[in-house]
Amino acid sequence: MIKGRLLAALIFAVTVLLVVVGTRWPIPSAAAYAGGEQVVRTASTPEAAVNNLCEKIRSHAWDDAYNSLADKARFSALDFQHDLVGTYPGLLTYSNLDSFEMQPLHASASEAEIRLRLKWATVVGPSVVTRQLRVVRDGDRWQVEWPIASQPPLAPQVIPVNYLRWDVIDRGAGDDWGMQNVDAPHVRIVDMHPVQRAEGTVILGELLNDDIYPAYVSVTATLLRKDQTAIASEGSFDKISHVLLPKQVTPFLIQFPDVTLADVGSVRMTPFSSLIATSADPVIEIQGQHMSPAPDASLSGQLVNQSGQVANIAHVLATFYDQTGQVVWVADQYVDRALLPQTPSPFNIHIPEDLARKIASERTVVASYSFRGAES
Amino acid sequence: MQNSESNTWMQRSIPISLILMTVLAVHLPLLLLMLPLKSYDTNFHIFFASHYAHHWFNPWNTKWYAGFTQTTYPPLPQQWVALISPLFGLDLGYMAIQFVAILLLAVGVYRFSSLWVSPRAASFAALASVFLGSESFLVYSAGQLPTTFAAPIYLNALPFLFEWVRYQNWRSFLKASALFTAAAAAHHFTLLFGSFFFAIPVVVLAFMDRTDGHTVSMRACALRTVLIVAVVGVAIAIVLLPFWIALFRYPVTQVPIPHPSRANYILSPQWGLNYFVIPYGAMILALPYIILRGSTMGRLRPLLFGFWIAFLLGLGGTTPVGHWLLGRAFDVLTMERFSYWATLLALPFVGMLASELVARFRAPAAFALSILAAGTCAAAVGWVTWHPADAQDFRVNEVASWLNRDGHDNYRYVTLGFGNKLSRLSTLTDAGSVDGEWNSGRKLPELTHYGVGALTSSKYFGEAGLDSLRAMLRHADYYGLKWVIVRDHYYDPLLWFAGWRPVDYLDDKTIAIWSEDGVPPATAVNAAQIPPRWQGLMWGTLPFGSSVIAILLLLIPARKRRRILQEYPFPINEEDLAPGRLAS
Repeated sequence: MIKGRLLAALIFAVTVLLVVVGTRWPIPSAAAYAGGEQVVRTASTPEAAVNNLCEKIRSHAWDDAYNSLADKARFSALDFQHDLVGTYPGLLTYSNLDSFEMQPLHASASEAEIRLRLKWATVVGPSVVTRQLRVVRDGDRWQVEWPIASQPPLAPQVIPVNYLRWDVIDRGAGDDWGMQNVDAPHVRIVDMHPVQRAEGTVILGELLNDDIYPAYVSVTATLLRKDQTAIASEGSFDKISHVLLPKQVTPFLIQFPDVTLADVGSVRMTPFSSLIATSADPVIEIQGQHMSPAPDASLSGQLVNQSGQVANIAHVLATFYDQTGQVVWVADQYVDRALLPQTPSPFNIHIPEDLARKIASERTVVASYSFRGAES
Repeated sequence: MQNSESNTWMQRSIPISLILMTVLAVHLPLLLLMLPLKSYDTNFHIFFASHYAHHWFNPWNTKWYAGFTQTTYPPLPQQWVALISPLFGLDLGYMAIQFVAILLLAVGVYRFSSLWVSPRAASFAALASVFLGSESFLVYSAGQLPTTFAAPIYLNALPFLFEWVRYQNWRSFLKASALFTAAAAAHHFTLLFGSFFFAIPVVVLAFMDRTDGHTVSMRACALRTVLIVAVVGVAIAIVLLPFWIALFRYPVTQVPIPHPSRANYILSPQWGLNYFVIPYGAMILALPYIILRGSTMGRLRPLLFGFWIAFLLGLGGTTPVGHWLLGRAFDVLTMERFSYWATLLALPFVGMLASELVARFRAPAAFALSILAAGTCAAAVGWVTWHPADAQDFRVNEVASWLNRDGHDNYRYVTLGFGNKLSRLSTLTDAGSVDGEWNSGRKLPELTHYGVGALTSSKYFGEAGLDSLRAMLRHADYYGLKWVIVRDHYYDPLLWFAGWRPVDYLDDKTIAIWSEDGVPPATAVNAAQIPPRWQGLMWGTLPFGSSVIAILLLLIPARKRRRILQEYPFPINEEDLAPGRLAS
């Protein structure tokens, strides 16, 4: 009987011990559900304070995150939330913070500076936002001062628009889209180059809408061996502007991961086009475009939405040429803030170091998406 | 006189017929209301059953993952649903088979508990099984038909295992072997883990009891154990041969998918409520009793250890035990089934506790226990409404009709924002999808390399989920993927920038159908994985046949034997000492 009670006590004690171990040092899967590896931390260091703030942002606990700030009196919780994910619906609005990195820049007994990289998981791919934070000591804990960047509200105004629009009369919703029994718009590939990169083979080029109607376009490339057997076939996916107005040109980039260019005998390009109902609205102008040389080569500038409607997500595609006018690279960036009418919004496209020196000129096109309806 | 009658009534076992009537009263109305259709997995099992209903001897299903083999999942309960579906339809057929499983559970718990405790306590345990929170949770909220179908078969096999090892009863040997094989044909994990949690304690009990009455040598018991393990092992190897072949040829090597049952229930209390409080219910109050009685009574210790290990594993990531004991399997399995098995192992203790309380406090105890049991069951049943598997209820019939008309089913489709309605849609449409809900059956690299579940819920898997979706959309041409059916407009920007266009709207414009031009019609892409015809014949014959053989063998009457009862070192009633035999 005594042995039995000892056994009961032992089972009870071991169970409690295992629960304590599992809670104090959670296994990876448990930690992930609890919101991070170091779940509960006191803000006893500047890094811990920033970590706690990011965990709150990750779990969309906006009020908690706001209340943990040292300078919250300067702005409201809503301002803070809008600063993070945008006032108007944009790329970050429905995204989640996937990870974050901290880089301490300077620290003293009472304050510290930390560069914070927030990596958001957006529907079109990861988006990285960098902020420089000041962290201040308050007694035995540290608090973050948030560098708020409020967006001024739009002034009421009337913006006249006068844009072209094309409609397509088809046989009804029962038909496959794009099967209107008329000739497809004439498009042609005006440039194409296979390039070997570290991640595999890349096909770069440009496609021109040679017609007088707008076209929906896409490009598929098939790599062939020397004996003409297929290695792989891939499409341009989102590395192209799929809607081309008459005489418009779009760059395209097609990736073949794990394929070596030396194995490729030839490339079969298959452009596709069909009629599309579209309009020239919204017109997005590119201002102040300039190239920064290597190191950290990039193309930057500002997008200005000339229309009266918000363009929620903008996609900037840049084509880079060498001195002979050949395409040497195609790069893109999704702008994480909505483009408000007449309001400049910056973009910055990174250029690979080894290619930057070859670039002599560039050309940029912008595609956009609005939540009120698909537009370009 | 009246007092004496009352005493007799209070000491008698609850008749099994009354327990089965209770099952009928509690669960039949809930099943007729089709409550399990709201659960996570019910539609998944109906989808599998639907395939068997149309292609009994062909396990190759082209509706998910551009083609996958259903030999990756033991088929028994789904085949039973398919078999009776011409009479009842698939939905009602599912409910009928689930109801039979609950009935069998009550019988199985009674028989299993009779090995450990008095018939009266065993009858209380069987009655408690009707109200078991984990059972209701799995039936109405998780929709795990195979687990809830296999466990009762397994429980019913265990007394035969005891009879064989202890008394060398050949009829029991046959019955145990047939039932174990049928249980494996219903759910392989139940057999695998059940061997550790249930069978080992029963074998240890047979060894412990070998010197009572008719003494048997240790060697004889060991030989009998080895013999039945060998025979059952061979039988399962043959009956599920296509399953083993599929597992061997295409081992599950994909990146593990997160599941909240692996959370720490203290750090994530919402999951603690879901996976601990709801399944255990009032049984939580009995945990100290279970540990104390299991420890102090030597005969119950094997059962206690089985319970304890299952209990710790059922706690998911609350303790590191699962991670230590199961290794990589911990990241593949879901942990709620361990809690289910733990509660089944706890039932003999609960029956004993109830029996003692009623003997001591009579009507007040019976009243309190009834309230606790009803509350546990009600909470678990209500959980499907309070914490629904799919927050947005909508019908997919219109989408299925759209896919089935005008040749749309010549192409494949993928849904976004459909949650577990995907299985329902797949049952109703003839079109094939590149997505699906049976993660272990998928072989497409766009799905297996990212550690995410179904594409339809990809946003919930963060960057990896969206990477997986993008990878699939990139290869739309290859898979003949022409339709993306969107109910969550979060995904619209991706589709737009990737060159897809909305072409139609359904269900009052809440569902948009997006299409990409130039996609060729779908063709077979996984031809190498199609099981040969002989495997289809085996799959359609042996697993189902094992259950038919088990039923036929159970019709052989059991040889009567007076059970040798243990003297329990705690106060027991006269009724507890009454000789009896194991129910069969």
